[in-house]
Amino acid sequence: MSDAAAIFRAVGLSKNFGGVRAVKDVSLAVAPATVFAIIGPNGAGKSTLLNLISGVHPPDAGTVMFNSLDVTALPPHARVRHGLARTFQKIRLFKQLSVIDNVVAGFHARHRIPAWQYVWHGTAFRADRARCRAEAAELLAFVGLSGRGQALAGALSYGEQRMLEIARALATAPRLLLIDEPAAGLNAAEVEALLERIRVLRQRGMAVVVVEHNMDLVMNVADRVLVMDYGEPLFEGTPAEVQVHPGVIAAYLGAES
Amino acid sequence: MSDAYSAAGRARWWGILAAACVIAVLPLVFRDSYWRTNLIVCALNVMLAIGLDFVVGYAGQLNLGQSAFYGIGAYVSTLLIMRLGLPFWPAFVCGVVASALSGMVLSLFAVRLRGHYLAIASLGFAVITYQVLLNWISLTQGPLGIYGIAPPPPVGLPGWQIDFTDLANLFYLVAGFALLSYVLLDQLVRSPIGETLTAIREDEVSAASLGINARLWKVFAFAVGTAVAGGAGCFYAGFVGTLVPDAFFITESFNILAMVIVGGMGTLSGPVFGAILLTVLPEFLRGIGDLRLIVYGLALTLVVLFMPGGIAQALRLARDRLMRASSRQTAGAKP
Amino acid sequence: MLTVALQQGINGLVLGSLYVLVALGLTLIYGVLVQINFAHADIVTLGAFSAYFFTHAFGGGYLPSIAVALLVGAALGFLINAAVFAPLRERGNELLPLIATIGVSVMLENVMLAWFGPIPYAFDSPYSERVIRFGGMFFTAQSVLIIAVSAAAIGLLYAFMKFTFLGKALRAVAQDRETAGLMGINPNRVIMLTFVIASALAGMGGAMLGPVLVLTPFAGASVIVKAFAIVIIGGFGNVEGTIIAGLIVGLIESYTTQVLGPGLIDIVVFALLLLMLAVRPTGLIAERREENV
Ligand SMILES: Nc1ncnc2c1ncn2[C@@H]1O[C@H](COP(=O)(O)OP(=O)(O)O)[C@@H](O)[C@H]1O
Ligand SMILES: [Mg+2]
Repeated sequence: MSDAAAIFRAVGLSKNFGGVRAVKDVSLAVAPATVFAIIGPNGAGKSTLLNLISGVHPPDAGTVMFNSLDVTALPPHARVRHGLARTFQKIRLFKQLSVIDNVVAGFHARHRIPAWQYVWHGTAFRADRARCRAEAAELLAFVGLSGRGQALAGALSYGEQRMLEIARALATAPRLLLIDEPAAGLNAAEVEALLERIRVLRQRGMAVVVVEHNMDLVMNVADRVLVMDYGEPLFEGTPAEVQVHPGVIAAYLGAES
Repeated sequence: MSDAYSAAGRARWWGILAAACVIAVLPLVFRDSYWRTNLIVCALNVMLAIGLDFVVGYAGQLNLGQSAFYGIGAYVSTLLIMRLGLPFWPAFVCGVVASALSGMVLSLFAVRLRGHYLAIASLGFAVITYQVLLNWISLTQGPLGIYGIAPPPPVGLPGWQIDFTDLANLFYLVAGFALLSYVLLDQLVRSPIGETLTAIREDEVSAASLGINARLWKVFAFAVGTAVAGGAGCFYAGFVGTLVPDAFFITESFNILAMVIVGGMGTLSGPVFGAILLTVLPEFLRGIGDLRLIVYGLALTLVVLFMPGGIAQALRLARDRLMRASSRQTAGAKP
Repeated sequence: MLTVALQQGINGLVLGSLYVLVALGLTLIYGVLVQINFAHADIVTLGAFSAYFFTHAFGGGYLPSIAVALLVGAALGFLINAAVFAPLRERGNELLPLIATIGVSVMLENVMLAWFGPIPYAFDSPYSERVIRFGGMFFTAQSVLIIAVSAAAIGLLYAFMKFTFLGKALRAVAQDRETAGLMGINPNRVIMLTFVIASALAGMGGAMLGPVLVLTPFAGASVIVKAFAIVIIGGFGNVEGTIIAGLIVGLIESYTTQVLGPGLIDIVVFALLLLMLAVRPTGLIAERREENV
């Protein structure tokens, strides 16, 4: 992929935890309006890779480029302003806040309120508030949580919480969305709805990176697939290529048995 | 949805108007200087409690050093008045700013520290501040204290002079500032800043994933919360007329924390009630030895164990029960 | 000059070893539970008072009084865990138990104040009068006793942690509560045990601090703020770091008293604490951990 085409590019990322080499020399590039899947057995280093991309952990080696801009040294919150959003494998919602407030918190970097109106709520403040609430309601509708806005986030079912996390991430208006094991704990119907939503996001021009340990799940939706094993990139290609790659099959059979 | 918001907003302004009326009436009801003194203490404690709640209840940063910021406001303003001859109001501003600046310095520790570490760092800060006040005798006169501090100067209106040696007027002044601080903090927590601080309280990693710079906002929360405490300190000095370090010992931080917890942290109205209750209630127990602090400690523990949302939660529960009961009644009346 | 410095050094180590006893309790609890017991201070105070009353009111010996204080401490630890920490555990809030024990502490201190009064008690240990001369320096037998008892207690604790099943269980729970549960260790019992041990150490420390401190209901509070500084300087939950930091703080206190005056002790100790937090928040013996996201 040419530099101009990729919205995101990581080169030679590595990360050790004590003696564990969680990620070893991984490179990837993601184009806009594509779905990029990262698959691999549990413990392969997928979540760690996501944490390196989003800035939660600093890498031991390698660079992270976003829109041809080196963001390796930027803290996680600064990367959001460049259009990067994520969800977490272990759901991290603001459990004491209502569903809608979780989404509204995602608008943090996008408010348009003059400073003094934080103290004296004026017209611009009210307009901003109305805009955020309306957009948040739309996002909730998109993830199938219409009418649940006033519930406490902690009171949602597991599958609903996963969807809320996606809505919250979308509230930052990302151009690259990283989702970590979004299908974990979802039933078949919910998984189908999730895949459909990912397709819609791609259609809107968003780049989506999906981490998943279940290979079959992403084959229908991914444009490209990176297979990881023991922290290392094992193979990258189209879903069709991955499915017939002997190394991948061996890794998965090995992990399963 | 925006309708519900503006309805809640209107209800709130009615509440604030009611509070202003109560403030206006109180000194007329309580005419002896003993109760008027208590009223002023209540107003000071309200300022301290809501300032602390902004940091602890909203931003989720356990600050055990509120007594120090109270003391910094008091000592800085008083020393500027007595040593440099500054008029009260400029000294007041300096006291508030000094308090806020030291709060910001402490919060720089909070940037890297969470939870318990910050609690201990802030406790350490309070211990250091207290010891400095005690030991820097050439400046603070140490344990002997500073005497003869004048109340705020009279305000002259055409044909009418407001004199703050009168306890009722002083109460109007302090309570007015308490109300002003309340409105200011309330506006902040009802703006997106409220959601930002709560997000940091709930989960910093998650907050960062939404573009929230926790470092910056913690500094902000500390600056605001400790500025309010500093303001209370300035009034305290002018009100009591003497300053001794013991007034700002770390146990004072615990008392303020008790007011916040008993009132209900993470709500602003709760700590107002908590401050008033824990100031007034022990006055009734005066006959039975010094029970004040035993009550504070007991209230703090019991509320955390059995009603972690404090008075605010109790009121909410009571209201819900009432509404349910009344809706059942109307439902029963229909057929 | 050198003898004075040496003398102060030894005084500092004696004091430091008592701080270690108190701080170790905090560190043990933090290691297993990631919680702070603010009322640890009052266990120290009540340990001191129980030893005082045992010796001065009932005419008991000083050595047995240390054992009494140890038992009183253990009982208090058991109660505080059962009354505060166990019920709050399910709520999973990081700060509520700390806040609740601040309440317990304020309450206990003021109940003691009502009971014992504000006037300091003169706690005389028979060993304080016996003076040992050594190379131009003086030690009381009390100092020797403090060092010996503290060293024995710390050694026993070490052996317990390293060699007994319960000690290993304790360390397992400290590392990973869920996995420990799977291994058939009952985490609640281990936590209870930790509180009992930690508080027994504090009670014992109180009995030996009694003759050193100004014994009032607030005696423990002045020790505990230093113990907090020690556990942070040593690295929370880190036993070796706590021991080193405790001795260092004892030395600092001793030399500060000599050089700058006793009023500045807290300022120096906490300035060190804040400095430590600024440059190396993980403590002396750093264990760099990255949060698992
Ligand atoms: N914060 C951390 N500290 C220590 N080890 C970690 C941390 N995060 C991940 N690891 C280790 O790195 C390896 C890869 O983990 P992870 O990235 O979560 O894998 P995956 O998401 O593919 O299941 C595992 O061995 C895991 O134990
Ligand atoms: Mg993972």
